[in-house]
Amino acid sequence: MCIDIGKLQMSKTNNILDIIEAGIKAENIRQKAIANNIANLETPGYRRIDVEFEQLLAKCLNSAGVVDLSEVEPQIYRPKQTPVKSNGNDVNLEAEVGEMIKNTLRHKAYIRLLSKKYKQIELAIDVGGR
Amino acid sequence: MEVDNVFDPIDITISGLRAHGKQMEIISSNVANARTTDAGKGEPYRRLEAAFKSDGDMEGVKLDKILTDMSDFLKVFDPGNPHADEDGYVAMPNVNLPVEMMNLNIATRMYQANVAVLKRYQQMVETTLELLR
Repeated sequence: MCIDIGKLQMSKTNNILDIIEAGIKAENIRQKAIANNIANLETPGYRRIDVEFEQLLAKCLNSAGVVDLSEVEPQIYRPKQTPVKSNGNDVNLEAEVGEMIKNTLRHKAYIRLLSKKYKQIELAIDVGGR
Repeated sequence: MEVDNVFDPIDITISGLRAHGKQMEIISSNVANARTTDAGKGEPYRRLEAAFKSDGDMEGVKLDKILTDMSDFLKVFDPGNPHADEDGYVAMPNVNLPVEMMNLNIATRMYQANVAVLKRYQQMVETTLELLR
């Protein structure tokens, strides 16, 4: 998941707002997935779901040419890697809480970046108006 | 410069939570079966013990295997018991309740310690994010 900054600058495609928006959208879907996992903590046979987004985004940003961010849709998948309990369920409460904390922190970072970006724009408007 | 992952400490503490949560399961099994004279195989319940393992220097912890305690069973005189031998003695599980209570305390404290680290680290990252305000 390594993004080449040079390539990122060269692709004139996306302004930063689009990237942040896509990120926030993905975090929202992931939060839903985690809530769903926790809700099904004791459902027999339930396998946990996860959302893949950052890897897809990195792949897209690394590829040459114009990237259409609307094509980078967060993918819901079942990892099927965690050990299964006796009722065929593989949700672990601690793991989900950890994922939730990570998700919240990422979400916070994106929101802060977004507000920072808006402040920059505002500043430019202010200076222009004077 | 090596790039380190911001979320590694979270994964490590979660591995601790999972391992000690599992240990709690083992302790509860031991306590619940403290007087189980027949655990199949023709012998009383044998107490279980958790063995933790780390995959590497910064890889967190995991429950490696669950070992059975092979120490001797305690013989108790109880002629009315259907599992008693011809002399009236019954083999009781090798579970020692005070030991289990001690392990229970340790497991609880370990769990709490991991939660404390998790909380503190979350606060740290949030402090960093404050810089973005």
